[in-house]
Amino acid sequence: MDARPVVRRTRPLPAIVPIGIVVVAAAMIAGHGFASPRNIANLGLQASILLMLAMPMTLIIMSEGLDLSAGAVLSLCSVVMALVLAAGHGLFAALAASLAVGLAFGLANGGLVALLGLPPFVVTLGTLGIAQGAALVLTDGNAVSGLGPQVAALYAGHVGGVPLPVIVALATWLVTHVLLYHTRFGAYVFAIGGNRDALVLAGVPAWAWHIAIYAFGGLVSGVAALLLTGRMNAAHPTVAIGMEFDAIAAVVLGGTSFERGDGRLLGTVLGVATITVLRNALDLVGIESSLQVVSIGLLIMVVIVIDSARRTWRAGLA
Amino acid sequence: MTGVDSAESVRSGANAPLLALRNVSKSFPGVRALDDVSVDLHGGEVHMLLGENGAGKSSLVKVLYGAYRADAGTILHEGRPVAIHRPSDARSLGIAVIFQEFSLVPFLDLAHNIFLGREPRHRLTRLIDHARMHRDARVALDKLGLDYDTRALPVYLGVAQQQMVEIAKALSQDARVLVMDEPTAALSDREADALFGVIHQLRGAGVAIAYISHRMKEVLALGDRVTVLRDGRRVATLLRGEASADQLIGMMIGRVVGAAGGVYRRQHFGQPGDVALEVRGLRTATGVNGVDLVVHAGEIVGLSGLVGAGRSEVARAVFGADAIVAGDVRLFGARVEGGPDRVAARGVALIPEDRKHEGLALKRSTQDNLLAASLWKFFPRGIYRMRAAVRHARGLIDRVRVVPAQPRRLARVLSGGNQQKVVIGKWLAADCRLFMFDEPTRGIDVGAKSEIFALIEDLVKRGAAVLLISSELSEIVHVCDRAYVMRAGRIAGELSRGELSEEAILRLAMHED
Repeated sequence: MDARPVVRRTRPLPAIVPIGIVVVAAAMIAGHGFASPRNIANLGLQASILLMLAMPMTLIIMSEGLDLSAGAVLSLCSVVMALVLAAGHGLFAALAASLAVGLAFGLANGGLVALLGLPPFVVTLGTLGIAQGAALVLTDGNAVSGLGPQVAALYAGHVGGVPLPVIVALATWLVTHVLLYHTRFGAYVFAIGGNRDALVLAGVPAWAWHIAIYAFGGLVSGVAALLLTGRMNAAHPTVAIGMEFDAIAAVVLGGTSFERGDGRLLGTVLGVATITVLRNALDLVGIESSLQVVSIGLLIMVVIVIDSARRTWRAGLA
Repeated sequence: MTGVDSAESVRSGANAPLLALRNVSKSFPGVRALDDVSVDLHGGEVHMLLGENGAGKSSLVKVLYGAYRADAGTILHEGRPVAIHRPSDARSLGIAVIFQEFSLVPFLDLAHNIFLGREPRHRLTRLIDHARMHRDARVALDKLGLDYDTRALPVYLGVAQQQMVEIAKALSQDARVLVMDEPTAALSDREADALFGVIHQLRGAGVAIAYISHRMKEVLALGDRVTVLRDGRRVATLLRGEASADQLIGMMIGRVVGAAGGVYRRQHFGQPGDVALEVRGLRTATGVNGVDLVVHAGEIVGLSGLVGAGRSEVARAVFGADAIVAGDVRLFGARVEGGPDRVAARGVALIPEDRKHEGLALKRSTQDNLLAASLWKFFPRGIYRMRAAVRHARGLIDRVRVVPAQPRRLARVLSGGNQQKVVIGKWLAADCRLFMFDEPTRGIDVGAKSEIFALIEDLVKRGAAVLLISSELSEIVHVCDRAYVMRAGRIAGELSRGELSEEAILRLAMHED
């Protein structure tokens, strides 16, 4: 076994690649205006918030973590942003407030996980409740409107024909890519998930980097609140609840494992694209949202069964 | 200074040691891992650390690297006292360790792994300088003659390859003090030779090397000095050639047998009966590499060897918990196909080393635990016969002497000895005929040890067969009818009752062919 040469082995493509192609092909065949320019722009807008949530979620899951609070924190960020705008302050003040809220929740999640060693599932379930509750209390359960034109204008903006939300989402991808593959932070994400002891023995304060992973997630939620709020020029306390489901689904579909720090960012991007196309196509043929969730669930099952079967098969060959 | 310390004074006069431990102690609840240990590491020497399992070698390494903090004593670096509270302290003093447990990140490429925590970065952007990192990693691997691709992932490497990367990682730190914890345990001869070549180079360059090994051949060939540890204490530090292999083994054992008190002695040796367990040519993916053994009814057969020799793996394979790659296991004359449930149904019990996690339901009562393997008896018609169960549990508590005799006491609050008795009682209740004990007395006080062995002896008197895995050599010597000694996944030899001694076991466990 040890006689074989040590070379760079290309890792198997995650099953999302062929399945994503099948989903897109099916959507195009089904028609209903799927391939129209208008719908394509729509797809980009729909994907942008999900892409933003799924980027840090990939890092969190790679570190053997989970963030169930992502949707609720995003809702709260959006509510806070809207309240600041409605009070007559400018966009920068609103963004700063949103970032502060996101960062606070990220630090709380990361601190409880990294310093106290609590299970991420439980920690983020708790912060989910807190964020959701806070959003409801701040708004009495009602939508916040009367924000003025700034944030809506931002959402409707274009640069070189590309919608601004899409640019923000792509920039998030770029930043996450650089962080994961070109900085120490990224290397330590792999290490925290794969062999945290190795990092500690290398003299690195693993706890600090571990917190930073969640803090990054919080900050991105703070930025994503811009898009969420601008989309309707209003904020609703529960509007993004459940979005963590799609984000986690995109990460899992993309072939990132919950164990040993095995993951890749591009897979998550493909997962986001597939989920968005699937939901959009089902919308077009008139299938309601709850059934869309069922279809995403089925998609996850299919992909993980295929991936796991292939792993077993490859292990048998080795 | 006493005679055995002659080697200490030889060098210390010339110049201060690179690193010195002075009267270092470290305790854990119930164990004195290190007791007033002093060791000097000089530049340009290979200092072997020798000792039985649990003698304190690994604790010493952990203190040196800041993974443990010593309770007492000082560490001197070039004569000045230093504090090593965490691994980064050790790193900044130029101490590097090649760990026994692998410290590689599975999905990070080799270059990243080698430079983990020391990634070279671009001056302006602070991004990782991949080109330089891969170039430097190439150099580190080349030093060991390894042609591995620096972009390969450890997850696709074999154990020996991972070990070599581990070594490259430590060497690349340009350490002044290099600690190696059994670096050759997973290596083939060719790879070990490459490592020895590098060790000679480093010694020439003035690096201090602390080297832990169980291979006597390496100890004698590589070591400039040898420090022998036993029960957390330093027994002696000797220059090369001052002691033979047999003398070193004698020092490792050292204790006056039986004088420490509480070593159980077998009361009665009976005639062995029918064959209960017969293993032929057993190989597993977990490292068992050709094992033959036989256990008869009415005898206690020891399975000894150093930690990692594959003893537990044999028991697990017999029990059906690990897959068998090749070979034959017969229980009471018949082959058994299938997993632990099928094997247990034939009357076989495995009492695992980690009783808290694998042997007990800690949050359940003593009674629930005792009946866990024989519950079916109390559901004659699908309905739980509680009174019969309680009666039966009380009988078991008396038989294995759990104290206090309270069936409803939670397993978690029992002492280690009582927990072990409950695990044994559980399998008694299931009418087992072959018992495999894996380190049954680990972490148990002396009095309870004797009671456990009395129970085990009682089992064989009633016609059961027992396979006893133990790292305590005195237990094997005093309790067993005969014993097998394992080394590197194979049976290194079998010792009859008359041949059994601690020296004989260690000689088989450590010697190269």
